Amino acid sequence: MGSVEECMDAAVRVARAAGQVVLEAVKQEKHVSTKSTPTDLVTEADRLVEELIISTLRESFPSHRFIGEESCAAGEPCVLTDSPTWIIDPIDGTCNFVHSFPMVAVSIGFAVKKELEFGVIYHCFEETLYTARKGHGAFCNGLRLQVSKEKDVSKALILTEIGAKRDPETLALFLGNMEKLLRAPAHGVRIIGSSTLALCQVAAGAADAYYQFGLHCWDMAAAAIIIREAGGVVMDTSGGPLDLMSRRIVAAASQEVAGFIVQQLKPIGYERDDCGERHAVR
Amino acid sequence: FHFDSSRTVCTVMADWGKCLDFGVSIARQVVLDAFEAQKVVSLKTSPADLVTETDQGVENLLISAIKEKYPTHKFIGEESVAAGASPVLTDSPTWIIDPIDGTTNFVHRFPFVAISIAFAVNKQTEFGIVYSCMEDKLYRAQRGKGAFCNDIPLRTSGLEDITKALVVTEIGTERDDLSLSTLTSNIYRLLKIPIHGIRAVGTAAVDMCLVASAGADAYYHVGMHCWDIAASALIVSEAGGVVHDISGGKFDLMSRRVIAASSRTVARGIAQVVEAFPCERDDGLPDADQAIGALTQRDGHWVSNDFLKLPCDKPCGIVIESV
Repeated sequence: MGSVEECMDAAVRVARAAGQVVLEAVKQEKHVSTKSTPTDLVTEADRLVEELIISTLRESFPSHRFIGEESCAAGEPCVLTDSPTWIIDPIDGTCNFVHSFPMVAVSIGFAVKKELEFGVIYHCFEETLYTARKGHGAFCNGLRLQVSKEKDVSKALILTEIGAKRDPETLALFLGNMEKLLRAPAHGVRIIGSSTLALCQVAAGAADAYYQFGLHCWDMAAAAIIIREAGGVVMDTSGGPLDLMSRRIVAAASQEVAGFIVQQLKPIGYERDDCGERHAVR
Repeated sequence: FHFDSSRTVCTVMADWGKCLDFGVSIARQVVLDAFEAQKVVSLKTSPADLVTETDQGVENLLISAIKEKYPTHKFIGEESVAAGASPVLTDSPTWIIDPIDGTTNFVHRFPFVAISIAFAVNKQTEFGIVYSCMEDKLYRAQRGKGAFCNDIPLRTSGLEDITKALVVTEIGTERDDLSLSTLTSNIYRLLKIPIHGIRAVGTAAVDMCLVASAGADAYYHVGMHCWDIAASALIVSEAGGVVHDISGGKFDLMSRRVIAASSRTVARGIAQVVEAFPCERDDGLPDADQAIGALTQRDGHWVSNDFLKLPCDKPCGIVIESV
């Protein structure tokens, strides 16, 4: 089966390799399709990179399970069991990838008995690697990561993403949430187009909080453990414990800032990742 | 900070290239030194409008270095203006400087912070430099000679179809009701077109350079200052993009409004849906065109007159105080 360290080493190697493929692909012409909405983009590169990652890991760890963004889109079940499970986003920031906007990442999380053991996120344009292993701290290119520890939301820089849904009600809720936080008054809100890299900015202390409705388990898995190991908090938008399949998250440098954000947010509903009917295999 | 005084002084001002090279050298040196320093943070016009000693220190260093080389030149610098200097652009050779664009990012170490230096003669921008320090990306353009990032030529995306556009904007520092509702309603209307997405990285100069480098297709904003965009506006146009007023009309450097885009079509598409809240011009002058940006109350919120296509019968130079 391989020890957790062996798995993590393999994750680092394959994330770097996949990242190089992504960086090459970003210079080529892209064939773009859409998924759930006209702005939910996917490319051939997403599928190829995920296939590369899964086939590489499967060779070393044939008994492990895999949850990947494109596999789930193709009908694979998206359910976390007790088995050692790899949770993969081959290209986080596909819209950025299509536009060559320089925030694109490969994200690989690993869980055993439904608990996150490590996370690896590779920032393709910067060629920067974020990693964390449970109980062993979080690192960026070997440097220890530490959240800002900011407790005062009026000094907070907050990141978010819009999400795939663009119907009027969703947009009104999204903008209402953002406006409420700006009135806190937070220092500012930023949108960079990659939830995993935004979460890494919180872990690095370069931002103080992140919140989003609409991200997936493969966006949260690696980043959640990186933030925890950097001394930050992650939770559900209701204030309860983080639910990987819930499509929502609040992450912050402190309980105080997270708690404030939780109080302000009006929820935006997205179908759970582990909704069985959507991914039924026939 | 060590300044190389052995460079030839440019006494005949026909070749602005030497001034450009000089600008590039000081941009790199000054900023990297400054970033190591401790930051004491103060507030300017609102709790979100930050300034640090580094802003002031860097601007002073830049201006004194330039004054030593070019003693007759004029300056418009963000912190000098905040201290009371006049921001009027004359025909004289003038350096337009933002020592730290993205001060909030700088305070947080969020990785988009830039120094912006533009140089204008006869009110025309001759060259522009934007150095995005944490990314180590030096963007530059000289009028008629193209735009570059770290010496690699830049070209905008050329996108014509706004429904495939990635649009960058800024949240800004205003936190009053009018500004916030204008900000959010603009984003709403753009997303409904639909467009691919909205980004906000926290510095106008870098946002516009992303358009110049084809990483995004358009940038729009109301409220930034001339020193934030003077350099990057030239970089965008030298990369083949367009720079307009937010109404779709002619760009006015002192108006505090801009659309920069990959094409006229995309710029027009944005101009059709975004509104401007009134903003006092950087040069403090009343402007006949200000009436175009004047607002009317409609259904409890402010709507611009040119959006409503109403004749404007209000006096010129309307200013609404920010909180």
